[in-house]
Amino acid sequence: MGALGRAIADFWPYVGAAAVGYAIPRRDNLFERLSIALVGLLSVALISGLWRVTPLEGAEWPHLLSWIVFLPIAGAVAVLFLPRQTPKLLQRFTLGVLALDFVVSLYLLKAPMTHGWHFQEIHDWMPAFGIRYHVAVDGISLWMVLLSTLFTPIAMYVSFGSIKKRTKELCFAFLMLHGAMLGAFVSMDLFLFYVFWELMLIPMIVIIGVWGGIEKIKAAYKFFLYTMFGSVLMLAAILYLVWTHKQVAGYMTFDYLALRRLILPETAAWLCFIAFALAFVIKVPMFPFHTWLPDAHVQAPTGGSIILAAVLLKLGTYGYIRFCMGMLEGPAWVSGATLGWVAVLGGILYGALCAWKQPDIKRLVAYSSVAHLGFVMLGLFSATRSGMEGAILQMVNHGVSTGALFLLVGVIYDRRHTRLASEYGGIAKVMPIYTVMFIIVTMASVGVPGTNGFVGEFMVLMGTMVSDALGKYATPQTVVASFGVVLAAVYMLSVVQKVFFGPLNNPKNEHLQDLNVRETVALAPLIALIFVIGFFPGLFLDRMHESVNGALDRYIEGRSLYLDHRGEQVAVLRGLRGGPLEKGYPKAPGAEEAVEAAAPSEGTTKPAGAAPAPAQPAAEGAQP
Amino acid sequence: MSLFFALSPLLVVMVGGLLLMLAEALGKPALPAGVNAQGTVIDAGLGRMPELALGAAVVLFAGAIMSVAVWLVGPEKIGGLEAVAPYLLIDRFTLFFSFVICLSGGFASLLAGGYLPEHGIERGEFFQLLIFSAGGAIALAAAGDLLSLFVALETMSLGVYCMIGLRRSSPRSAEAALKYFMLGSFAAALMLFGFALLYGATGHTDLAGIAEAIAAIQGSGVQGSAAAGVLLGLALTLAGLAFKVSAVPFHMWTPDAYEGAPTPATVFMAAAVKAAAFAMMLRVLLGAFGDERLLSWGAGWPPVLALLALLSMFVGNIVAGRQESVKRMLAYSSVAHAGYALVGVVSALRSPAQAQASVMFYMLAYALSTVGAFGALILFGSKGKEAVSYEDLAGVGRRHPASALVFSVFLVSLAGIPPTAGFFGKLYVFSAAVDAQLYWLVVLGLVNSVLGAYYYLKVMVYMYMREPRPGAVLAVPMNSGLVNAALIALALLVVALGLCPSSILKLASAPLP
Repeated sequence: MGALGRAIADFWPYVGAAAVGYAIPRRDNLFERLSIALVGLLSVALISGLWRVTPLEGAEWPHLLSWIVFLPIAGAVAVLFLPRQTPKLLQRFTLGVLALDFVVSLYLLKAPMTHGWHFQEIHDWMPAFGIRYHVAVDGISLWMVLLSTLFTPIAMYVSFGSIKKRTKELCFAFLMLHGAMLGAFVSMDLFLFYVFWELMLIPMIVIIGVWGGIEKIKAAYKFFLYTMFGSVLMLAAILYLVWTHKQVAGYMTFDYLALRRLILPETAAWLCFIAFALAFVIKVPMFPFHTWLPDAHVQAPTGGSIILAAVLLKLGTYGYIRFCMGMLEGPAWVSGATLGWVAVLGGILYGALCAWKQPDIKRLVAYSSVAHLGFVMLGLFSATRSGMEGAILQMVNHGVSTGALFLLVGVIYDRRHTRLASEYGGIAKVMPIYTVMFIIVTMASVGVPGTNGFVGEFMVLMGTMVSDALGKYATPQTVVASFGVVLAAVYMLSVVQKVFFGPLNNPKNEHLQDLNVRETVALAPLIALIFVIGFFPGLFLDRMHESVNGALDRYIEGRSLYLDHRGEQVAVLRGLRGGPLEKGYPKAPGAEEAVEAAAPSEGTTKPAGAAPAPAQPAAEGAQP
Repeated sequence: MSLFFALSPLLVVMVGGLLLMLAEALGKPALPAGVNAQGTVIDAGLGRMPELALGAAVVLFAGAIMSVAVWLVGPEKIGGLEAVAPYLLIDRFTLFFSFVICLSGGFASLLAGGYLPEHGIERGEFFQLLIFSAGGAIALAAAGDLLSLFVALETMSLGVYCMIGLRRSSPRSAEAALKYFMLGSFAAALMLFGFALLYGATGHTDLAGIAEAIAAIQGSGVQGSAAAGVLLGLALTLAGLAFKVSAVPFHMWTPDAYEGAPTPATVFMAAAVKAAAFAMMLRVLLGAFGDERLLSWGAGWPPVLALLALLSMFVGNIVAGRQESVKRMLAYSSVAHAGYALVGVVSALRSPAQAQASVMFYMLAYALSTVGAFGALILFGSKGKEAVSYEDLAGVGRRHPASALVFSVFLVSLAGIPPTAGFFGKLYVFSAAVDAQLYWLVVLGLVNSVLGAYYYLKVMVYMYMREPRPGAVLAVPMNSGLVNAALIALALLVVALGLCPSSILKLASAPLP
């Protein structure tokens, strides 16, 4: 055997996939063959990467996340200097950067996602303000990062098929958006997070407003104003937290690890929670702030819709986990049951009913997003392990299935320039491959066992049923939410029936071309993922277990600290536990003593003359 | 000698202005024989605009460099400054503002070098007016005595009045100049009256002396006429200050003056004059009225300024959103920005040092972005057709992508979206306000920045997402190396200041007067 044999044994799936991609018939262009081969290779790399957890040799490479985030941003800057007259070059360059970014991000899968932060990188940025460049992933943000690095290339690839004008701006906007989204997912400094959060706005508006439909400008404004409104309130809350931390601890920092130690007095905690939650709920979006979403989706070009659905909305749910549940546990817990009803009635049920009545397929998918994200939010509100893991998995699922649905809707839109379901009928006869794909994705979206949607929704419902946080509403909410699953089948299947089956009445549909290679290639990894998640959810859940457990422990502990502290007028800091969750804690400037090993007595830091601190949390030691 | 070094920013600018005036007066016109085709004698500056602009820019940038040099040496280490104190205080505060003023003045003259010849306003005196006005502005930032303050203020304003009226063929320009002149004189008179009352009540004209006298008045319990004089003086002075920073309701002149003036003059007004006015405001309010009674929420000026700030933000933003003309929109937005900066001034309530630093940084960020935004408007217009309305900008993003990108950078910065200077400026001001526990002001201010973002976005929407109406006269961007260079430099500065503001922050928060 020897080294060669092992290499062959290791690499045959990649080589095979590349060969299959290369050999797809009726491609005359060598470049196209090579790129399809590359896509095949990458898909195999993703799927095998999911299985293989070989412990890293040596330490995690700390600059990995910076590479992932800044590669696309640097690419965006480079695009500015490429000639506008060569769209092919621009497209290849952009796809190359995105593919490289994807490959780099696969390396994240090699680290076993144990408790705590991984691939952490910290530099001082603006020491005068305590602002640091602090990035890290855990088992929750890992999936978000991979979701973005997977979906942006797909969205980009699809866009190049249908958008032929102003390619340079398109490449710039997508690369910038990509970098900003990744940055927001990995930022552990609230300032950094806010910078990336806002940085996403302009490229997305440009994508909607430049390449969008007829009402594109209105949709762009709506998107912008909604998001901006939420985010400025969040900024106010961030400033308040920083200021309070400065009062209590004596130094200024924007670091997440430090700010989440704050236990605020009741009113302040509620106001901060509302400000943060509003920003994220608008982004998710949850009823009644969802009205920007259908407009944005319908007007955005296909690629924009894919990114919006697959990744951008996840920033809302991710932000809720990280910042609302992670920093303002008390109000988040207390409001969970009420917000749970909003998620169930306003999201799952209302979203589904709205979706049912939409004549426009894309609008239907947009409303189905509202319903799916209702499930995600419900899982988060339930604050149980299976609920939260289900919610995170459902975030990935929603990305995969809704992203694929938008892609598929884009396919027929490109051919017929209408998205009205009534314009179609009997398409299955002329577009068989398309139909099969659509039905598979529909099944995933509806949540048929064996597909990804089932696992996520089932876990969410299971978690909701046994939830403490939802209290007496746990059972009714589970029951009502289960209706949502049925409704999902109703609206999705009715559109499938209308579009694909029945007589082929409309003569315009008689010569529709089936999926072309570009579209198939873009869809293939998603279809594969649907089944991979459906059959092997453990691959995903295992990597998030410890982070979810850690987050939940903190959440529950933080809530009881908050309840104990409710009557007080001043903020205090909760005790440091040490352990991997506090790796990289920002030290006070000048104070060099090791904070990592701090005893819980640290928690009594409080301003002079303040009321006595609440009962200290027992030093529970680091989680294993 | 050391005194000369300490005063060098001011001296370089003033002497440079004189030299430039000589050069223009004695130089030969570029056109033969100094007469035009009709045989009438023409201005000596004719045809020499770019050279004059470059000269003026060199003078002003030299002023900026000298400010930095003095800063690096450290004004507190330079002896002999007592000779000019308190008429001119050379401290880090002065140096920072003189840097901002010289920088924006320099960029304004570069922009003028492209604008004036393009639009047939070939009048060499523009640059001298600009330089002397900048000198006045520097002196204003340095003034620590009511007398020198007033002289500096008038020096600065006179130049600006003339610059506004320089577009003599346009009635709007004349209207703008007259309006600004009348209202400006009126405000100056109010302020002078206030100063007189202050002198009467305290017996001092220097700010530190006034502060001491005010403390003595309150300490000794002599409440009667002296205290009334101080309060009345404060009120009148505040009105004058609010006029100069164009805070609502003293903003009426702003849109007309900004719109009617030749755009480089607008640039100078919006950036340098505003910065100097804020320097004056900080110096007067914190220097003379920094007494703890007058700096309290119950009995002092902060609530008044907070109200002005709120009004400026709301009126500025709402009215700016309704404008048809981009130039006028930017004028109203400068009113709104005065409001944001006033929030910073109000934060002096608890921590004067931080408030002052935040306003200083804000003025730098705002000056760079607003110079850039007006500069981009200059760039988009050429002979006979200035780009003023939104319609003029329609489709520019497709026809002239690089220029549109640069304009967008400035707009994004003005809107306060990271990673630009404007965002950090806003963040700093609002965090100072949070420090002062003015939460409601912060929330309302941030809500305002959403309102503001709307109309900046509108410009981008027109540039990138709309096409001009068929048959509309398209504004052709001018082709001027000076304007291009200025805009590129500004865009880089705006982004760099947004990405790594640390060093500038350190400068702004250095020791205070």
